[in-house]
Amino acid sequence: MDKLNKNNSFGVPDGYFDTFSSDIMKKIAKEDASMPPNEGFKVPEGYFETFNTRLLEQLESTPAETKVIPLKSYKKHYYTAASVAAVVLLFLVVQFNSDKTPSYSDLANSDIENYFEFNDLELTSYDLAEILPIDDLDLNDILEIRLDNDNIIDYLDSHIEDFEELNMHNDD
Amino acid sequence: MELKSKMLIAEETLVIQLKQKDHQAKAFEVLVNTYKERLYWHIRRIVLNHDDTDDVLQNTFIKVFRNIDSFKGDSKLYSWMYRIATNEALSFLKSKSQKFKINNEKLMTKAVEDLRADVYFEGDEIQLKLQMAIATLPEKQKLIFNMKYFQEMKYEEISEILETSVGGLKASYHLASKKIEAFLKEN
Repeated sequence: MDKLNKNNSFGVPDGYFDTFSSDIMKKIAKEDASMPPNEGFKVPEGYFETFNTRLLEQLESTPAETKVIPLKSYKKHYYTAASVAAVVLLFLVVQFNSDKTPSYSDLANSDIENYFEFNDLELTSYDLAEILPIDDLDLNDILEIRLDNDNIIDYLDSHIEDFEELNMHNDD
Repeated sequence: MELKSKMLIAEETLVIQLKQKDHQAKAFEVLVNTYKERLYWHIRRIVLNHDDTDDVLQNTFIKVFRNIDSFKGDSKLYSWMYRIATNEALSFLKSKSQKFKINNEKLMTKAVEDLRADVYFEGDEIQLKLQMAIATLPEKQKLIFNMKYFQEMKYEEISEILETSVGGLKASYHLASKKIEAFLKEN
């Protein structure tokens, strides 16, 4: 700081820079008085004024979590850890042997639908549209019953008066 | 200089001072004075009751003080503190519902009902109804609704605190508002 001031004829009040950040912070605190817009909540009188003192007392009375853990206590955990590991291993072996790893096809369609229905995916339809490969989708990915071309033609044939009007020949 | 950039510089200075032993106490006081009210209201809207809010607020500042060394400055100090306050409030509710052996939704409905007799709540029936509606929302939507509607925060700020995309936030806020509207119409 002194270096900056070498050839400087300007002066600042004593302690200006020492109190600068606290002054700004005070301004920020006031900037949007955080009183809720008439929500009905109240605080006890003088609560915020006495908060600091109570906080400091609390800070002093709760010891910092010490990082030094006595070695001995580890020993007890080794046995627990070993037995847990053994159980997990056994479980994995049984699972592996019974070859019952669930795969995507084990999921019922309704489960998947429910998942999308009830989980907050935080995706809008626009987000979804960006992710989903629309070009690779065809009608049968959406329908539960497979539609073959023959079925479609049969349907159209029996429901539409002039089938030829649909102009269904290929362009090429 | 804009207030916003001044605020950033002041925050940076404060973080540096908080990490130095000789300036720590003073800097911490500044920090507490600056943010106690905002964080109080943020927590109060989650836990609803004053005494619980007081506990959570104290724990939040104690966590901030003890963990300031691990604050890397990737996000703003303010967002980091909001994140701690949010986590503290949510885990407080979780342990409370475990203690009473009821699920979170029941706990929140009870908390709203308790507001009627709360000396530190003087809202009218409409405000009470609004709180009831909010209590029915899923946790994340509730947070987003409170921050956007009552605290009037910008999506960008909420996004930094909750670490969620702005698009996702907008969708959740929209959903939350619709649900509240439906609740208020029904009841």
